[in-house]
Amino acid sequence: MNPAPDSTTSAGNGGNFDPRQAAALLDQTTHQARRKFAPSPPWLLAIRAIAVLAALGGIWLTVRGQHPYRGPTGADIPILIGFIVLNFAVTVGVRERAMAGVRGRTRLHPVEITILVLAWAAVPLLMWRLAVAGVSYSWYPTTVLIVPGLAWAAVSAARGDWRQFGTGLALAAISVVGAFAGPAGSWAVAGVGLCAVLMSDAVAIAWRQRRDVARP
Amino acid sequence: MTADELDPLIHVPTRLKIVATLAALPDGDTLSFTRLQDMIGLTPGNLIIHLRKLEEADYISSEKNRNGTVSITTVALTGHGRKALGAYTQALRDLLGGL
Repeated sequence: MNPAPDSTTSAGNGGNFDPRQAAALLDQTTHQARRKFAPSPPWLLAIRAIAVLAALGGIWLTVRGQHPYRGPTGADIPILIGFIVLNFAVTVGVRERAMAGVRGRTRLHPVEITILVLAWAAVPLLMWRLAVAGVSYSWYPTTVLIVPGLAWAAVSAARGDWRQFGTGLALAAISVVGAFAGPAGSWAVAGVGLCAVLMSDAVAIAWRQRRDVARP
Repeated sequence: MTADELDPLIHVPTRLKIVATLAALPDGDTLSFTRLQDMIGLTPGNLIIHLRKLEEADYISSEKNRNGTVSITTVALTGHGRKALGAYTQALRDLLGGL
């Protein structure tokens, strides 16, 4: 293949390339690369935060007046499951697009994926074991999130990703606080808590992506 | 500090884009040639020329892997290249701070 003439070689020794232009190009390219390589972009986190608040808040609205507490209605559960499935599909799709062509630590290792899948699979198993022991799921609706939360924290700690470690711990903390808020209140705690964690994550990532490297 | 003292290997728009893009990945991560080409917006021939110059200076490393009948080339910024970009960035800051 005959390469096309290089339009940039005239500035090969920096002759025509102004340092101000260089700084602007360095910042612009860095911002773009950070955005394109982001496995969890801020816009996705912000949408997820609002959707979580709407889904869990909606359930809280239906259960808060129940005396005695009976749990979410039959219509709420399919919506919640649909949201989880859609969220999972969009997350995987966006992550794969960002990680296309990338190899190394940025990508989740198969062992890490297995740990996370097992953590989520452990949730219904734990619920079933508790149900067999006579503890109804309706009394701890969001407390089971402690398992995936701690798993995410452990995986993130092993990767040295301390921001995501904090997110995992926050998820576990929300599920513990929810346990003290009663079955109806735990939906509100989970909705508001997860929304706050996801929004904080979105703001932190957006700030990091837009941080200049060259311009003082 | 003058503009002439900036690292001439990096102080070229295309090569600056290449190293800045690779530097956005964590240390040790590699990027496929096709994804890099897509992100920089260059022809394969042009990209090869610039990558070769950077590789000769040990700023980047490249590796060709065979996956069945398909050959995949990956590139990564070396530790030396990351340091060079850091020094270049600092030099730019010093230069702009004095303007």
